[in-house]
Formats: sequence, C-alpha cells, structure tokens
Amino acid sequence: MTTEQEVITLTNQVFEESFEIEKEKLQPQMNIFEDLGLDSLDVVDLVVALQKKFGVKIRDDERVRSIRTLGDIYQFILSLKTEWKS
Amino acid sequence: MQLKRVVITGVGAVSPLGGDVPSLIEGVEQGKSAVQHMEGWEQYTGLRSLVGAPAELKDEKSIPRKSRRSMGRMSFFAVQATQQALTDAGLQQKELSSGRVGCVIGSTMGGAESLNDAFETMLPEKDLSQLTSMRFFQCVSHTAAMNVSQYLGLTGYVMATSAACASASQALGVGYDIIRLGKQDVVLCGGAEELHPTVTGSFDVLFATSVNYNDIPHRTPRPFDRERDGLVCGEGSGILVLEEYEHALMRKAKIYAEIAGYHTCGSGAHVSQSNKDAMVFCLREALASAHLSPGEVDYINAHATATMQGDKEEAEAIRDIFGDEVPVSGLKGYIGHTLGASGSLELIVSLAMMEKGLVYPTLNLKTVSPDCEGIHHVMHPLACDIRVMVKNCFAFGGINAALVCKKINHQ
Repeated sequence: MTTEQEVITLTNQVFEESFEIEKEKLQPQMNIFEDLGLDSLDVVDLVVALQKKFGVKIRDDERVRSIRTLGDIYQFILSLKTEWKS
Repeated sequence: MQLKRVVITGVGAVSPLGGDVPSLIEGVEQGKSAVQHMEGWEQYTGLRSLVGAPAELKDEKSIPRKSRRSMGRMSFFAVQATQQALTDAGLQQKELSSGRVGCVIGSTMGGAESLNDAFETMLPEKDLSQLTSMRFFQCVSHTAAMNVSQYLGLTGYVMATSAACASASQALGVGYDIIRLGKQDVVLCGGAEELHPTVTGSFDVLFATSVNYNDIPHRTPRPFDRERDGLVCGEGSGILVLEEYEHALMRKAKIYAEIAGYHTCGSGAHVSQSNKDAMVFCLREALASAHLSPGEVDYINAHATATMQGDKEEAEAIRDIFGDEVPVSGLKGYIGHTLGASGSLELIVSLAMMEKGLVYPTLNLKTVSPDCEGIHHVMHPLACDIRVMVKNCFAFGGINAALVCKKINHQ
C-alpha cells in the first residue's frame, strides 16, 4: 500500500528526473505550468512517467486535464489508489 | 536575372576525431584512424561488421531542457557543429531571426537511436501508452534541421535533405541555389548522422560493410585498396555557413572558398549499384555549371567508401574525365563513412587542404586495386596549390552529387 508520503516522494522524483526541477521548488501549491515551467508536451511525458512510477493507466483519464498544481497530482494519485482499494 | 555568388564563411564539426574542426583537421593530418571495435555489437545475430567510428557526445546538458528534450544524438551533434560554424563566421544572434538566415541539414533517416527506442517501447506489447511526446521530434528525418532552427531562433528557410550519403552534399547544393536566387543571405548547410547497429546492419545485409578487420579496426575502411572489403559507418555533423558574396564582403567575413558549381542527378539504373556513366554525367554537369574545364581542377575529394563496386565505378568515372593528372584522395579511412554528414565533414577537411596547400592522403590505401588504377591516387601528403576542387558524393538510391569550390582572391 502506497502512503501519502510515498506518493509525494515518488511524484517529486518524476519532476526531478523528467523535468530537472530542483527539490526545493517541489511544494504542493506550485502550479506545474506557471511555477514549474511545464508545457503541453511535458504533460504528455508527465503522464507517461507517472504511469511507469505508480503502475497505473491514466492516459485517457479526464481528470488529468484539470490538474494545475503539484498538490492536484498527489491527490489524483491517492484517489486512484483509493479507487483500487474499494 | 543575375544570380548571386555564394561563398563559405564558417565551418563547424563534431566528428569521430573530436568535437570541433581543429581536432578533425589535426587528426587527419596526423594520420589517425577513429575506427574502433564496437563493444556489444556481437549480440546482434547476423551482424558481421563489428567496427565503427563513433563521435563523443559531450556538453549536451548545457542546452536548456526545453530545447534539449527534442534532440536525439544527431541533433546534439548538429547543434554543436552549427554553433561552432556561426562563431567561426562571426554572425550575430540578431541576424538569425531576420528571416534572411535559414538552414538545410540532411541525414540518412533521422535519429536511428530514438527510432529504435520508440519501436522497442511500442512493439513488445503493441502498446503506445509509454511513448513520450518527444520521440517523434527526436527521430524524424528533419530532426537536425528542426532542432537547429528552433534552438537558434532561425526564421528563414528550414529544410532537410534525405538522400543517404549525398544528404549533406544536397543540403549544400540547396543552400547554394537558395542564396543564388536571392531568397536568403545566409544558409547553414550540412548533414548529421548517428552510428547505430541498425544503420551498420542495413549496409551489412547488402554485403557492403567491412567484415575482415573486426580485430584490427584501424586498418579499415581501405578506399581504392586491393584489400578493401567494404564501408565502416561513422557519425557526427559538419555544418558550413553559406553566404551571399556581397553580404560576406560587407561584414568583412573570412571567406574559405566560393561555391562555383553543383549538380545532383539520379542514375535511373539501380538502387544500390554505383553507375559510372551517371557519375560522369554528374561531374560534367557540375563543372559546366562552374564554367570550368576538367583541366582546371586541382584536387578531387572522392566519395570512396571502400566498397568493391563503388570505388571501382568512381575511379573509372574520374579517369574518364580527368585521366591521371588530378590528385585524388578520400577521407573515410580516418573517420569512417559518416553517411548523411560525410559530404559536409569531408568538405570541411578539403577546405583546410585548400587553405594549407596540402592534400591529405587516402588512409589505408597501400596497394591500389587493379580496378581502381589510372587516376592520381594520393598515398602520401602532397603539397598542392588547390585553386579549384571537386567534392564527390554518390549515394544508395543511385543519387549522385558533386560540388565545385574555388579559391577566392579578393583578400
């Protein structure tokens, strides 16, 4: 079972490894576009990286479109885990 | 309509002999071979040629992530070579976005490594969901031209030629024509290529590669030699700044040479077999476009891949036009066959020969093969006042290209 802290750690790893963003910037309130500098192409790669990191399939999940902050991603992944559990 | 004159005002290179032009020229001058045994290639069943001439990929992290993410190996080479060429030419950043500066950069098939990785990701489970957004940009056939233009902010013509081993030569020819027509003032031209087992493999299945020197790699390829047994693939990028003559004069640029003539043509005969008659036609047309006769040519930089048939046909074509008067040498013994980059990397070395008044010999040519006799093979460094030279490129697909350059004496 992945804990909330594990979700945060693994998600932050994706941002460090795939988008070369410094650890200090990885705060939940950070907007992934305006604060962390991602663009639409990066979102494609973010989805691929998250799928690989968490072993999930989210490419066609409509909720991806509403992600704005890093915190949104933590919550989205946690909600997936909850859905799986139920 | 009065056509413009076109001159070369800058050069840049990443080659198997090093990451810049001086290391390339010094390596050739010292008779170094960059060919080596390729570790790990034994795992490919059926791949008989285990040699290659790799270039070193370095400092790519200095390119910002958003520019870097769309670049595969060959685009890094092309970007670095282009930056060197621009510095050499002394062109300013503000000129690049004037709409009057473009680029034409060719390759055989785009980024082989990225293409291979894309298939390895997708095919085992027939699943596209793990493909990243950048695979397309890293492997398409215009990846080098696209990345160079985006990274440098070029807003002029952006084109990519793709004619295998004639790709760079055609890029230079297209750049030459664009400037002659007055459409651009400056065009950054050349080619880029990457070494990969799938690339060597594609020649290997055609029995066109060198297979007898896997344990003594520096002795192959052997252009025009009796013991030649095929080509050795290499990688890198060579970029030249082509510039309208008056534009270059106005900014007091160093001029390496003037492009005096160019021609490209198909053989219409066979996809892989070189064709002497088509080569002769291409060379004669290139000379005619330069308003020069064969007797006015001082040096020929041969395509000379060291394949059995290609070298024979090229030697016959040269003999038919030039006899045994004009010095001929090839450079693939030093850097392998850099395929889509060979036309530009080898032209850069040829320009150095022109500047130094010295012809570098064909490395590994020890005994001229009987079927390549009758031309003036340069087997040792040869002092030579090169005022006019011809660069040959003859590609799979029966595509030929010849470029004529001449010294310019205004300075």
